[in-house]
Amino acid sequence: MGRGRLSRILAVAANTFRETVRERVLYNLVFFALLMTLSGLLLAQLSIRQDEKIIKDLGLAAMDLFGSMIALFIGVSLVSKEIERRSLHPLLAKPLGRDEFFLGKFFGLAFTLFVNTSAMAAGLFLTLLATGRSANLGLVGAIYTIFLSLLLVVALAMLLSSVTSPALSAIGTLGLVIVGRFSDVIRNMREVVPGAPDWLVKILYYAIPNFRNFDFKEQAAYGDPIPLSALGQVTLYAAFYVGLALAAGLASFRSRDFE
Amino acid sequence: MEAPPVLKAVGLSKSYKVGHIRRRLRPALQGLDLEVRRGEIFGYLGPNGSGKTTTLKLLMGLLRADAGEVQVLGRPWLDPAWRYQVGYLPENPYLYDYLTPREYLDYVGRLFGLSSRERAERGRALLERLGLSHVAAVPLRRFSKGMLQRVGLAQALVNDPELLILDEPMSGLDPVGRRLVRDLILEQKAAGKTVLFSTHILPDAEALCDRVAVLRGGRLLDAGPLSQILKLDVSHMELLAAGLDAARLEDPAIRVRQALGERWRLEVEERSLGAVVRAVEAAGGRILAVQPIRQSLEDYFFKELGGGSAGPWGGAD
Amino acid sequence: MKWRDGLLVLGLGAAMVAAQVWLDQSRGSLTAGDPSLYLWTGTQVKRMVPGFEGLFADIYWLRTVQYFGGQRAFAQNQRFELLYPLIDITITLDPRLEIAYRYGATFLAEPRPVGAGEAEKGIAILERGVAALPDNWRLRQDLGFLTYLFLHDAERAARILDEAADTPGAPYWLRTLAADLLVKGGERQAARRMWRQMYEQAEEGIIKENARRQLRQLDALEGADALTALVAELTRRTGRKPASLADLEASGLARGALVDPSGTPYEYDSTTGKVRVSQRSVLWRP
Repeated sequence: MGRGRLSRILAVAANTFRETVRERVLYNLVFFALLMTLSGLLLAQLSIRQDEKIIKDLGLAAMDLFGSMIALFIGVSLVSKEIERRSLHPLLAKPLGRDEFFLGKFFGLAFTLFVNTSAMAAGLFLTLLATGRSANLGLVGAIYTIFLSLLLVVALAMLLSSVTSPALSAIGTLGLVIVGRFSDVIRNMREVVPGAPDWLVKILYYAIPNFRNFDFKEQAAYGDPIPLSALGQVTLYAAFYVGLALAAGLASFRSRDFE
Repeated sequence: MEAPPVLKAVGLSKSYKVGHIRRRLRPALQGLDLEVRRGEIFGYLGPNGSGKTTTLKLLMGLLRADAGEVQVLGRPWLDPAWRYQVGYLPENPYLYDYLTPREYLDYVGRLFGLSSRERAERGRALLERLGLSHVAAVPLRRFSKGMLQRVGLAQALVNDPELLILDEPMSGLDPVGRRLVRDLILEQKAAGKTVLFSTHILPDAEALCDRVAVLRGGRLLDAGPLSQILKLDVSHMELLAAGLDAARLEDPAIRVRQALGERWRLEVEERSLGAVVRAVEAAGGRILAVQPIRQSLEDYFFKELGGGSAGPWGGAD
Repeated sequence: MKWRDGLLVLGLGAAMVAAQVWLDQSRGSLTAGDPSLYLWTGTQVKRMVPGFEGLFADIYWLRTVQYFGGQRAFAQNQRFELLYPLIDITITLDPRLEIAYRYGATFLAEPRPVGAGEAEKGIAILERGVAALPDNWRLRQDLGFLTYLFLHDAERAARILDEAADTPGAPYWLRTLAADLLVKGGERQAARRMWRQMYEQAEEGIIKENARRQLRQLDALEGADALTALVAELTRRTGRKPASLADLEASGLARGALVDPSGTPYEYDSTTGKVRVSQRSVLWRP
């Protein structure tokens, strides 16, 4: 029975990937990301001795920005849409567990993000090549952590989508992603709001997903080596938080009514 | 020894929470007992909002029941094994519009654990049976409602189910489509399968069903063979005649005279039937049909569920 | 009727343009203030772009370079007001952006019309750089150069250059340069070395051009000094000062055309016996 479970999850994942591949908005976003990266070639001309740094900065920023937008979009639409349009009704009648469906969706979306990130990374490497530079390991490390952050965005989007409407889950996920980038501000909240109780600050800081953890752009731009232990820690954080989001989403998904 | 029922529900109940601030409970289904026997075509009837779709969704697990016990094909409801032998078609199904019928059936087949060869074979056969071979590679977003319904039926049949559960299978279909569905249901029965379908198209139910259940306001009103539910009026016969002006027929045995265009419908006391027939022929008319008066399902609906007197001959949609 | 729609569009377009013109006319007076008031501070910008600081530092640096070039080339009265704020934002966003410190400081410190003529601000920028990147010898080197060349503080410059020489990776000549500054008469040599370094380390552009010109100015000065020495020699030999440079030429002591590196003839003051760079020369400086 274990093998049947896996094959069903994979079936859902494969179908989810197929759905995103046929979703045109995705191509537009990837196109813009590549455009942004390529514009680094132009911008480098306008500055002094900066081409490699500008290209890397632009390329990584594009991956982060557009990758997050893609993750948000597919995470919200692919679950909310399913529920709202009732396309999962015939499927749930089959011997397909709700958790298998949910997890299969996640893996399909994760694979989509992997393909997108790879495409954007390839664009960045080629742009660097065009100026005679090559990529370094630090760059790969920064791309890897960006990919982890995208997985977290998707998991959060899926959690919110299984609980509320598409519009609210989009706004909510976007809010979490933005606030998550200000994690250091939250942690040091007492500088701005001295009256804030310590326990509240702590709870907020740990609860809100800390997207700063995934930011290694500076190291990539300056060629600093990124220690494997740091990457390992970030991977663990991502794994646990993603697991948390999926578990919560699953709990909601499992017990709800589909009208 | 009677075979165990294919579907058995006892005390099935479901209430919805309504309102955002003060959450009240609106009961949708109350204490439903249902039994569907092997090899029969079972009709599930009731007006809009009576709880038909709720029942089917509860059976398939899309909704969580508040109370009740369900057994399918002799297995407890939680056992996933019965789902391999059941096919389900929801009302107004939405299927992935970016897939083609072939791809959709293949996907469903994978969920059943069918091998790729089986999936290809079943897919091809079903598409042909449902007249969709010519659009097998067209994305579903371009399909009309009727064609989508057919694909919906196809996906319900991928696993060659013992029990077919259909929610309003005729809805939105043109006569050709309806004939197709009707034939399909009869085919299933001929193959020894069981079909449970909900409908509000009464002539279809009359034509197809062995037994029916009638639902009103979330409660079961009645269940059993049609002949039992629809009362037979044995004292009078129904006579269809043409070619005369029956208004001029004088006979106390004629209880009701109804003009239907060029024809007349007469309700006649049974023992005076012969006399009336002779009177009609004497007046130069022709007898078209004679049959016992049976309450139509529509009459039943109107009578039991509120409404006026019996409508004209001919089914409502 | 399509022409009616077209007419409507044109009419509304004209009206819109007219409204804009009117707006600009009345609003124009409001923009006479200090434009740097409309720029956010470095910390404000940094707050707003978490995760993209490096990119925005690049963008602001680009803006700085374009602003500097634009002010030099196109501004009626070059104001350079936004130069310091822009550099400040850049280095706040990315304190590791070495090039912003170095070029930014030079843009600020070079006297007009080459730069903004605000040497103190340039020094301040480099001091921030040295604080942020203490192991960077180039920043300390630039700080020393600017301190001497634009603040004319030889002692302080020498101290800074000594510290620079202690930083890892620093070239050996920094120490000799520091020493030269403290020796009377060694200053011109030190200055020449500094300009030489700046010339070699700079990208093609205004900084490099300026350094080249400085070197040629120094060459011109040295040429004048050498000729003055020759005049003194001739005076010693003949017992009287020569009347003009032609006499020097005729004496055979000086060879070649008596012109400065720009090709302009030197000027000779027969009363003092000094040779100087002609005021007509591009290499003349007060």
